[in-house]
Amino acid sequence: MTVLSRGLITGLIIGMCLVNYGLRIVPLSVLSRVQLPQAVMRWLDYIPVAVMGALFATEVAIPALQAAATPAGASGHIALWLNPGIYGALAAMLAFRLSRSFIGSTLAGVAVFALLQWLLAI
Amino acid sequence: MRSGFPIFLGYLPVGLAYGILAAQHGFTWWEAVAASGAAISGAGQFVALSTAAASGSLVAALVASGIVNLRYVLFSATLSPHVRRIRALPMAWLGFTVTDESFAVNMAEIKRGTATPLTMAGVGAIAWVGWVLGTLVGALGAGRIGDASRFGVDFAMPAMYAALFVALAQNRRHVICGVGAAAIALGLYACSRVGLAIPQHWFIVIAAPVAATLAVLVFKPSGRDLTGEDAP
Repeated sequence: MTVLSRGLITGLIIGMCLVNYGLRIVPLSVLSRVQLPQAVMRWLDYIPVAVMGALFATEVAIPALQAAATPAGASGHIALWLNPGIYGALAAMLAFRLSRSFIGSTLAGVAVFALLQWLLAI
Repeated sequence: MRSGFPIFLGYLPVGLAYGILAAQHGFTWWEAVAASGAAISGAGQFVALSTAAASGSLVAALVASGIVNLRYVLFSATLSPHVRRIRALPMAWLGFTVTDESFAVNMAEIKRGTATPLTMAGVGAIAWVGWVLGTLVGALGAGRIGDASRFGVDFAMPAMYAALFVALAQNRRHVICGVGAAAIALGLYACSRVGLAIPQHWFIVIAAPVAATLAVLVFKPSGRDLTGEDAP
């Protein structure tokens, strides 16, 4: 696992604070006074789900494709239909659909992922 | 305010995972706690950490996490009409603690008519304590817990993203836009496989705004867009 430099860590702590607080407090304090154009509000309305879709691709789909593209027999090769990440994500989505609980669905996803990972290692 | 308690329980394990991951990336326990206490931003912190590790660039890490957290702009914008009479100090704290979950709980209480500045600040405080406490335990325990990946801890965030996808996809247009963003990201990955190399930490930064822009252009405005009551 990559170890970050002290300067990068300090920069992350300060920068993350400024970026995140800016994203939250500026709209909250400014927009409680003005009205955003309808087109901007519609664009913002799509941003959350678009981010989650893109995150699904980079965190689940692409690693799964990379594992499947590794030559069979080499370490790290997992056939697409056996990939623990795909089933873990589906379990989390199904669990949220049923329970509307972030805790429950996160734990369900992790449990399915860990179980399949363990079964594949046997 | 009591409805904030599930957030506390939910943030503990994810904060723990962040604490372990930060420690493995060279954070001391107090640096990990400072990072969580100052940013209180689950997905954004994970993305910043992995982008910083992959690229070594502070700017890339901050831009990536800023894009991931653009949704805070929407949350704050949606909350803003309801906080017009709140004074500067509670407003500053409320803004500091806007997360997916605190936003969801506060909006639910606003709609029920039970929200006051005190309850909203309380929900934020519960979320903050859960997130920071989880990070502290994770960062301190990282050495003893060892290779946490065998417990599937590193899958906590992808699992939460998957659940958040379902939570945020309130109508058919949202689903199409989210699937479209995933397809664009996969298309960018395909480009890098055939030689047109785009660093992977830019995929989200490119795919999400492009998909949202396409959605605005393709789908005609409807009054129900912002309420999420469009029948799926």
